[in-house]
Amino acid sequence: MGIRAKVLSGFLILACMLFLAGGWSVYELTHIGSSVQSLLDDNYRSVNAARIMTEALEREDSAVLLLQSGKWKEGRDIIAKADLSFREGFDTAKTNITIPGEKEYVNRIETAYLKYKNLWEKPIVGTSIEKNLDWYFKNAHPAFMKVKSDLVGLMAMNDRVMYNTASDLKNRAHRAVMPGIIAILSALIFSFVFNYFVNYYLVGPIIRITRGIQGYLEYNKPFDVKIETDDEIRSLSDAIRKAVTQKSHGDES
Amino acid sequence: MRPHIIFRYTGIILLFNAGFLFVSSLISLVYSDSAIMPLLYSAITSTLFGIFPFIFVPPASEISNKEGFIIVVSSWLISCLIGVMPYMLWGGEFSLTNAWFESVSGFTTTGSTIITDVESLPHGLLFWRASTHWIGGIGIIIFVLSVIPSMGKSGMILYKAEMSALATENFHFRAKKALHILAIVYVGLTIGEIVCLLFCGMNLFDAVTHSFATIATGGFSTKNSSIAHYGSISIEIVVMVFMVLSGIHFGLLFSAIREKTFDILRSPVTKYYFSALIIGTIIIAIDIYYTRSMSIGLALRDSAFQVISLGTSTGFATADTSGWPSFSQIILIFFTLQCACAGSTSGGIKTDRMVIFWKGVQKRLSMIKHPHAVITPKLGGSPIDIETFESCFIYIVLYVVTVFVSSLILTAFGVDLLSAFSGSAAAMGNVGPGFGTVGSMGNFSLIPDPGKWVLSFTMLLGRLEIFALILFVTIKSWK
Repeated sequence: MGIRAKVLSGFLILACMLFLAGGWSVYELTHIGSSVQSLLDDNYRSVNAARIMTEALEREDSAVLLLQSGKWKEGRDIIAKADLSFREGFDTAKTNITIPGEKEYVNRIETAYLKYKNLWEKPIVGTSIEKNLDWYFKNAHPAFMKVKSDLVGLMAMNDRVMYNTASDLKNRAHRAVMPGIIAILSALIFSFVFNYFVNYYLVGPIIRITRGIQGYLEYNKPFDVKIETDDEIRSLSDAIRKAVTQKSHGDES
Repeated sequence: MRPHIIFRYTGIILLFNAGFLFVSSLISLVYSDSAIMPLLYSAITSTLFGIFPFIFVPPASEISNKEGFIIVVSSWLISCLIGVMPYMLWGGEFSLTNAWFESVSGFTTTGSTIITDVESLPHGLLFWRASTHWIGGIGIIIFVLSVIPSMGKSGMILYKAEMSALATENFHFRAKKALHILAIVYVGLTIGEIVCLLFCGMNLFDAVTHSFATIATGGFSTKNSSIAHYGSISIEIVVMVFMVLSGIHFGLLFSAIREKTFDILRSPVTKYYFSALIIGTIIIAIDIYYTRSMSIGLALRDSAFQVISLGTSTGFATADTSGWPSFSQIILIFFTLQCACAGSTSGGIKTDRMVIFWKGVQKRLSMIKHPHAVITPKLGGSPIDIETFESCFIYIVLYVVTVFVSSLILTAFGVDLLSAFSGSAAAMGNVGPGFGTVGSMGNFSLIPDPGKWVLSFTMLLGRLEIFALILFVTIKSWK
């Protein structure tokens, strides 16, 4: 192999190492960006929707108690606003299904909520239910708790995924940094090896050839430089040897 | 000494490792796990480093003994360094210290791990972990020499530098043939175990990785509870049989299979090896039968597996030996120190040296009784020369001193005595598990970082049979 190819191969290998490490780091960093986006888009939105629904549900529960205590206007005001808020949260959750099993939770919430809503939609004030705490504990509270437990389940599911995504982000950050560190170290070691080879196989022989020529010119020593490699330097050495031999023969004749 | 020649030969080792890294990344690709990029990047970097010396350095027809020796030790160190790369790039529990520990433990076939949840590792990384065992099993250089067709005189110098004198003794063949025998027996045993484990119901991935770990007498499992995970007596029997076979001199195994010469049953070393395993199994079975009130069948099963596992320096487990009575633990520590026969993949002092040691003790006793007698101890009919006696005694003394020093340093870092001593003995013998916090069902994650470096050095000392690493460190003083 010629000197040009050898030197070029050294630089190509170095470039290849750095390019690969750089490429991989960029890939991981891009992935971190999309992971953060999906964390916000997918999971945080669902968690937030579940939180809105839980708050609305709790307000509805208080409103039911107000209705039971005979305060129709206050109760209906709160319950109407809370229902609207719950619907908004629910719509967000329904259109943001991103995890396997999330759809089942959303369906369960919808069914349970309709059952609960069915209880307070009927008149309470002025009926036998008013001031009837037994009705609350037997019907309204269990229905409320059912919706709430499904909401907690939905929130926990998204929290879990958020935690996993965050852990994955940590690993990805590590993987984005490590190739750079390893590439720097590898390139450093490679540079030393490359430098050694250039010195041993290129600079060293050139120095030996120079000394060989000087030896011939100054002390008429025979030009005897051995070159290990089969490249341009050997050709140069052979050519000089030939020239020196021819000159010696010329001088003798 | 010519550094460029050393670069060229270590380049071959790098390419060899890169091959296994490429296979591991393919496995990662098949399972579409998270280790593909770390493995692929490591494979490419290793290939680039390995190829470069070939471009510059012309092949050398001969190498000196000194160069051969440096190539062997450098090959181990460079392989361990390359082994660190995929772990570090993957992340998780792998800090630099942990990755180095895991890599050295893999290549030296120790099998000690720092991973608390092995099952959470991606398949590609698990395969690489098992591969490090398989590459290191018969010795990196030996493996390469047996795969690469011919390296001429250089190959023979490397062969002599890698193989211990004891290991070459039972090879009645030329070095070149001995290399082929090693490779045939090694690959044959591995394929044999894979087939047997598949028959026992293990899946292909687990069968391959466990076979790599068994035949190399390594001990890395893909399961947190090692072989106990399967709860299968047939799997345990297969693993036990192959652990015992891997602890026998490969030359004797080859002769027994191919040439039908049953030196294996006549050799005093293998006779002692089998007897020690049987006696150890029976004594421990009786001890745990009485103290742990288990059925005699289960006591024998657990005892046999643990004795064979430690007695061959493998390190698989089917029971938590840290909870066993002290008497049984002491016997297991003896097996951890002794291990199996020279010329196998096993580590430790080796049964050959134990037999020679006892012959020496017998000779000394006879000399006391009959001071003027001329006594020449024999091993399998051949006389044992003074040099062999001397080197065995020195080796055993150095071995025990190294275990002591390693334990001492570990205790200085706050490790308890049992964990420090058994961990050091396990590292030195390339066995794997010890007792206490580093027991058969535990791991080395609780050992402080400096302690992990000490243990890694101990593993390398044990694998290179002490002298090689000491000579490497003192290379400048060579004349």
